[in-house]
Amino acid sequence: MLSIKNLTASVNGTPVLKGIDLEIKAGEIHAIMGPNGSGKSTLGKVLVGHPAYEVTGGEVLYEGRNLFEMEADARARAGIFMGFQHPIEVPGVSNAAFLRLAYNKKAEAEGREELDPLEFDDFIHEKIKLVAMKEEFLDRSLNEGFSGGEKKRNEILQMAVLEPRLAILDELDSGLDIDALRVLGDAVNQLQRPDRALLIITHFPRILETIQPQFVHVLSGGRILKSAGKELALELEERGYDWVLEEAAAGGLR
Amino acid sequence: MTTVVVGSNLLGDLLSGPRPAEWASLREAAELRLAGRELPTTSDEDWKYTDLKALAGIAFGPAPRATVDISGYLLPEMVGTRQVFVNGRHAPHASCASAVPAGVRFFPMSAASEACHSLGTVGNGAAKSLFEDLNTARFEDGAVILVPKNLKVALPLHLLFITEAEAPAAVFPRVLVVLERGAELELVEEHHGTGTYLSCPMVEIRVAEGALLRHERVQREGPESFHLGTLKAEVAKGGQYHSRTLSFGARLSRQQPWVRLAEGAAATLDGLALLDGHQVADTHSFLHHAEPHATSHQLHKCIVDGQARAIFNGQIRVAPGAQGTDAKQQSRNLLLSGSARVDTKPQLEIYADDVKCSHGATVGQLDPDELFYLQSRGLNADDARNLLTYGFAADVFTRIPVASLRRVLRHLVMARTQATSLGDLS
Ligand SMILES: Nc1ncnc2c1ncn2[C@@H]1O[C@H](COP(=O)(O)OP(=O)(O)O)[C@@H](O)[C@H]1O
Ligand SMILES: [Mg+2]
Repeated sequence: MLSIKNLTASVNGTPVLKGIDLEIKAGEIHAIMGPNGSGKSTLGKVLVGHPAYEVTGGEVLYEGRNLFEMEADARARAGIFMGFQHPIEVPGVSNAAFLRLAYNKKAEAEGREELDPLEFDDFIHEKIKLVAMKEEFLDRSLNEGFSGGEKKRNEILQMAVLEPRLAILDELDSGLDIDALRVLGDAVNQLQRPDRALLIITHFPRILETIQPQFVHVLSGGRILKSAGKELALELEERGYDWVLEEAAAGGLR
Repeated sequence: MTTVVVGSNLLGDLLSGPRPAEWASLREAAELRLAGRELPTTSDEDWKYTDLKALAGIAFGPAPRATVDISGYLLPEMVGTRQVFVNGRHAPHASCASAVPAGVRFFPMSAASEACHSLGTVGNGAAKSLFEDLNTARFEDGAVILVPKNLKVALPLHLLFITEAEAPAAVFPRVLVVLERGAELELVEEHHGTGTYLSCPMVEIRVAEGALLRHERVQREGPESFHLGTLKAEVAKGGQYHSRTLSFGARLSRQQPWVRLAEGAAATLDGLALLDGHQVADTHSFLHHAEPHATSHQLHKCIVDGQARAIFNGQIRVAPGAQGTDAKQQSRNLLLSGSARVDTKPQLEIYADDVKCSHGATVGQLDPDELFYLQSRGLNADDARNLLTYGFAADVFTRIPVASLRRVLRHLVMARTQATSLGDLS
């Protein structure tokens, strides 16, 4: 589904990603872990086309298409979604209207039928149950005045509405209490299908107890230093990141 | 070069008509203050960016009697609580006060002059502007609203001022609102019109102790009109005055709200101006924290397209001894074209030391992070831009409690921000 080869990227002229290779197949769940500042969010934002990040080399194929030839909105309509670490607040735009608009733009692109406000009402009420969101949040402006946790809940609601093929979730657990994390983790699991894939970006292994990856990658200094199965997450929980960095240095990686 | 003596004829013309009989002493006093005055020019600091030359060149006559079809202006929540004024005169057949709750007085001044004893008394400590005096000298009629002690009016009241000018005409809408102690009211004031005209409304408001007035003001004057409005509000101890002024119409408009806050009072003075073509919209506000522990919030937003121009001058005065004042002012401006222009200036005069005053101004384009966020959800760049522009404006009116007014504003703003193709944004 997603094939990343030797990807490099910089922000304001400073290289942040220094050669990333990653293969994600349909049905898989991958986790990217690593210390703060290692480039995890950057990787996600590059994949969804954030304009602040410049791709300086390498290639990314999404379902066989060159990702970098697609605008950010085209990538979204093609099924890529990122739940952001810090979702933006948009005053004056109601959450419900925004969700309906996003849903209909995607439906239009896929040749499916668009939903009118009444139909969408029924649709969205099923979805807010999935993420246990209170109805009043639909009428509020998009993320405006939402707490950190409420924003994360709203990101997963957007994911549930858009049903992406590839979802990248950046630090989903930050700002969430244990119960909310379980609810949202379960929601993400319910949305996972054999033809979809997940890329979970997280500093803390906690979330991987609910959303269990088959593959765990450690990213540091803009490179993937180690890839293994889900047992790596447990090891990182017990031992932290330093040993991976030391091991990589000893192995003379690049 | 000859100096244009701007307006020397205009004021004379406007005052040449007969002086209405009621409130003779008020009118005389106003005329005395007006004697020898001239229209301000751009060399006047207060009018530096707002040029009245175009106004001075037009000979405005008195507005003739007219009848209009108001069906397009009716809002369902207020069909039975409306007073309509056409060309400055009360329109009894267009008005309907059958649903006005008992105890509330909501009349044309011409029918209830005895109820207007506080007319001309609000903000008497402050200087009177030329346009306020013009209104006082020549207003024909207006609305008076009195809400007695502790009455919380369940239905909003609707004030409609409509001007239809076949030849250039001047109108002077007048409003007096008095809320007695603990009273609560939601008031919607609208200005519409067609043709070339000058509208000089004057609104006086008294909010007594613990009373609460919400005031939505919609200026949708015709594209060839001038709207020069004054508002004066005195808010007594613990009272609240929350207003939004939404300016869409007029080739040139100016809003001059003046609000005095007593101890522990609260005010909101939000504004939105949506401008294009050659429109000019000016807001000169004055918030007077006269006593301790009052709070004020002011969010003023302008979206300026074409060669239009927005002016904001937000004066806040914290009087000596007004400790514990909390004043927050924000001026946010969106320029949609390279030739659009905004001049914004906070003017804080703080004479007390234990106060919280903040102000901020931004002039610019849409936030790239917001644009990207919407695009990352599949909206193309144009849709994202239009939705954000709409949202920038809607932010000011989404919390209006009258649903039908919200809907009207939504459609109006969607049309003006190219957001109509985005479907229902409620
Ligand atoms: N928009 C940005 N502007 C400037 N520096 C950035 C920006 N985004 C990321 N960086 C820098 O790139 C590096 C990686 O950041 P990031 O990808 O956010 O790390 P992580 O998500 O792993 O904590 C950091 O040094 C960070 O300061
Ligand atoms: Mg990060």
